Amino acid sequence: MKILFKITGSLLSELKAQLTQPHQFASERVGFLLCRVALIEGGGLVILAHSQHDVSDADYIDDQTVGAMMGPAAIRKALQVAYNRQASMFHVHLHEHRGQPHFSRTDERETARFVPDFWNVQPDLPHGAIVFSEDGAYGKCWIPGREDALDITQFTVVGIPTRKL
Amino acid sequence: MKEANASELRLGRQNFLGKNSAQVLKESRVAVVGLGGGGSHIAQQLGHLGVGEFVLIDPDIVEDTNLNRLVGATQQDVASGARKASVAARVIAGVNPGARAWIETKQWQMCAVALRSCDVIFGCVDSIGERAQLETTARRYLIPYIDIGMDVHKAEEGFFLGGQVAVSLPGGPCLRCMGIVNDRALEVEAQQYGAAGGRPQVVWPNGLLASLAVGFFVQLISPWYDVLDLPPLVEFDGNSQSVFPSKKLPYLAGRSCRHFAGLEDLGDPFWSCPGKCLVE
Repeated sequence: MKILFKITGSLLSELKAQLTQPHQFASERVGFLLCRVALIEGGGLVILAHSQHDVSDADYIDDQTVGAMMGPAAIRKALQVAYNRQASMFHVHLHEHRGQPHFSRTDERETARFVPDFWNVQPDLPHGAIVFSEDGAYGKCWIPGREDALDITQFTVVGIPTRKL
Repeated sequence: MKEANASELRLGRQNFLGKNSAQVLKESRVAVVGLGGGGSHIAQQLGHLGVGEFVLIDPDIVEDTNLNRLVGATQQDVASGARKASVAARVIAGVNPGARAWIETKQWQMCAVALRSCDVIFGCVDSIGERAQLETTARRYLIPYIDIGMDVHKAEEGFFLGGQVAVSLPGGPCLRCMGIVNDRALEVEAQQYGAAGGRPQVVWPNGLLASLAVGFFVQLISPWYDVLDLPPLVEFDGNSQSVFPSKKLPYLAGRSCRHFAGLEDLGDPFWSCPGKCLVE
């Protein structure tokens, strides 16, 4: 199944600026992209990012074994945003290198644990997680009705230039 | 020779468009809505450039009166009642056999789902109302929209020929901001509904505007020079044979579009749990 992800260049720039802000103890930042969705030909999906939701400084847990660990308040606030704004939610973080990024084992384990929780507030929408690099992206999408996550097939940044990651 | 190698050789002289330009173009899915005078030129040029996937939408068949401007169409197409979209697909296949083309012969509104996964939409439609609808669709799915239009006006002292190319990007000025779509024009058009008649059309302004539109497209997806600040609207004066950035642009500078202000107006507005239908 084809899963396309689209984001404007301006929103991606804002997101990266936010994700590269230093934190008191976390070595990286995380956040969420709020999205809308639509079916495409052949039964696939297009996911359209429209805004971001930051995780507050106070909502990180001091855990030096990982780059960033969200506390329960961060998840609770993100769930509230998803509910209020009827959003498809994508957890995001950034690996500051060039080339194709991948999830770490921790990313795999943690996202599989909390992303499906968004179905408690928006059961009809797909949700997911994405890691961006300086010029690439990798992500997974959880679709209602199936337990396993699917890889996002294609990322497009829309603007001047319009490019695929 | 295998098609991949042939394609590499064929596109060798346009390597200056960027190291990966051939791949970028090949991986692009582009819709051309309206394959008459303007759209047929655009489809032909995109075929030459090496675009890999096309969605070609036009419900019309080729008529004798189209042959003064419809690139690729022949007398035989008139005799056989060929579709304009099929003619465009044939022209593309003739120069770019590896390209895939989806032909839609319905009104574009009836097959709009095919547009959702496109990287760019070219609008080559006749009416202001359709332009407005097509742009709205493009904005809803975060797709750059490139619109071309030409017109011939009769005045006491003769005819005035003009046209424009507009590039509408999410967050940027829209066709309403640029004055191409406005309530008065929509009202006049609605009053003339069903009685449009044959409008004056001629080949070279279509070709010129199509070429400009394709130039915008290339700079958008495979920028080959540093200027990324493309003018969203260029105008053509067919009487003085000149092209220039629109004089409206200074009034648009620094202003955000208020017609598509809500970026949340994205996606399928009628989405209601189709997810479970997606389970393979």
